[in-house]
Amino acid sequence: MRPVSQSALTRTSGRVKSRAMTLPEFSPTSLNVTDLSLERGNIPLISGLNLTANSGDAVVLLGRNGVGKTTLLRALAGVLRPRAGSLFYSDVPAETAASKCCAFLGHEDALKPDETPRQSLAFWSRLSNSPLAVDEALDEMGLRALADRPSRRLSQGQKRRTALARIAVQNRPVWLLDEPAAPLDGDGRARLSNIVSSHLKRGGLVVAATHQALDWPNARTQELARCAL
Amino acid sequence: MRAVTIFLREIRLAFSGGGGPAAPAAFFIAVLTVAPLAIGQMPATLLAAGPGVICFAALLAVLQGAERLFVDDVSDGTLETYALSGLPMSVVAAAKVLATAFATLWPLPLVGFGAGVAYGLPTGSAALLAMSLAAAIPGLIFLTALAAALSAGAKRGGLVIALIAAPLAIPLMVFAASAGRVGGIGDASAQANVLLTCATSLFLMAILPFAIAAALKGRLE
Repeated sequence: MRPVSQSALTRTSGRVKSRAMTLPEFSPTSLNVTDLSLERGNIPLISGLNLTANSGDAVVLLGRNGVGKTTLLRALAGVLRPRAGSLFYSDVPAETAASKCCAFLGHEDALKPDETPRQSLAFWSRLSNSPLAVDEALDEMGLRALADRPSRRLSQGQKRRTALARIAVQNRPVWLLDEPAAPLDGDGRARLSNIVSSHLKRGGLVVAATHQALDWPNARTQELARCAL
Repeated sequence: MRAVTIFLREIRLAFSGGGGPAAPAAFFIAVLTVAPLAIGQMPATLLAAGPGVICFAALLAVLQGAERLFVDDVSDGTLETYALSGLPMSVVAAAKVLATAFATLWPLPLVGFGAGVAYGLPTGSAALLAMSLAAAIPGLIFLTALAAALSAGAKRGGLVIALIAAPLAIPLMVFAASAGRVGGIGDASAQANVLLTCATSLFLMAILPFAIAAALKGRLE
């Protein structure tokens, strides 16, 4: 890894360690996907998928463009109904459980052009009763200097960092991340890796779809294959 | 409590991003200024047409900003995060729609009162008309929001909004305009019309959040 990200890694890791100690642990959460089939606009994408993950696990979804990674994440978030099969979080169907236990980062960053990162994070933090302070989340993603700039004047990568900080303040055990690192630079990826590992230490669970090497320690990969027609 | 958090955020966004009440108020005033030129300037004509024109102009002013109500939330991913906020979608929708009404539509009854006087209505009638406008606007914005939720992300969304919201707005238009048309403050029929406007508005506010939520969930799939 490049020296800049290396130094960022060591710089943030001290703070992350202290945060992991101060933030309360999540109650154990499990994800059980059984024989899942998904379709998008009547095109079958995923069939017969089985997947289990528990607190402390990170699952990285890999696969070619159009194989259904985003569709799977949206199904895990409970907004897309599966064609067949079941999705459970700790024995509760995803449709009802997801809105209590999931934080979702899609292709878009869910930022409003006239809102600053600080305003946006303060809103999500209040909405989620987050134990993580907004300033701490900003620091973790290296956004302190940009905190009061309207997000329409942020770069793509800076917006992504803000969205990841939002995921962190949402205080949910399950993180569903769609291409979290795509616009990030080396430092950004190192910081992402940091917040993910401290989230896992709290007993969190992460499912991420990616085309990039994320270098997350202890991450499992799940290869998605093209659905046989 | 969390619904209030969303309400306050949406008010802030309506002011910072949407310019607050400027656009609907300007649109309302423009229609009210141009209408007499089309109807004819005879005082008797204006007096008779005034309440109807003012209510109709208010409907147009509510509709003109409608298309943007949910489009941004659908395209920028906010809708998904709201859907996973743990609040029922109907509560999120109600908070957002009420915030829009409070932030952008509050000048309409005031302008409506001024316009009523300018069209030659007695002050009492103009005041009743303004009251019935204030009562009708929450109902109108919820109707508009339903149409906006159904059309968000669809091509030619504006067409859907006009086709859905305009027919549903008929009872509110009838009651609100009648309140300004008959008699002054003491008139029982005028008061009844104001109360009927309130009742219709409350009914719409009670049922429409669920319909809006269903439409928005359909958008997510």
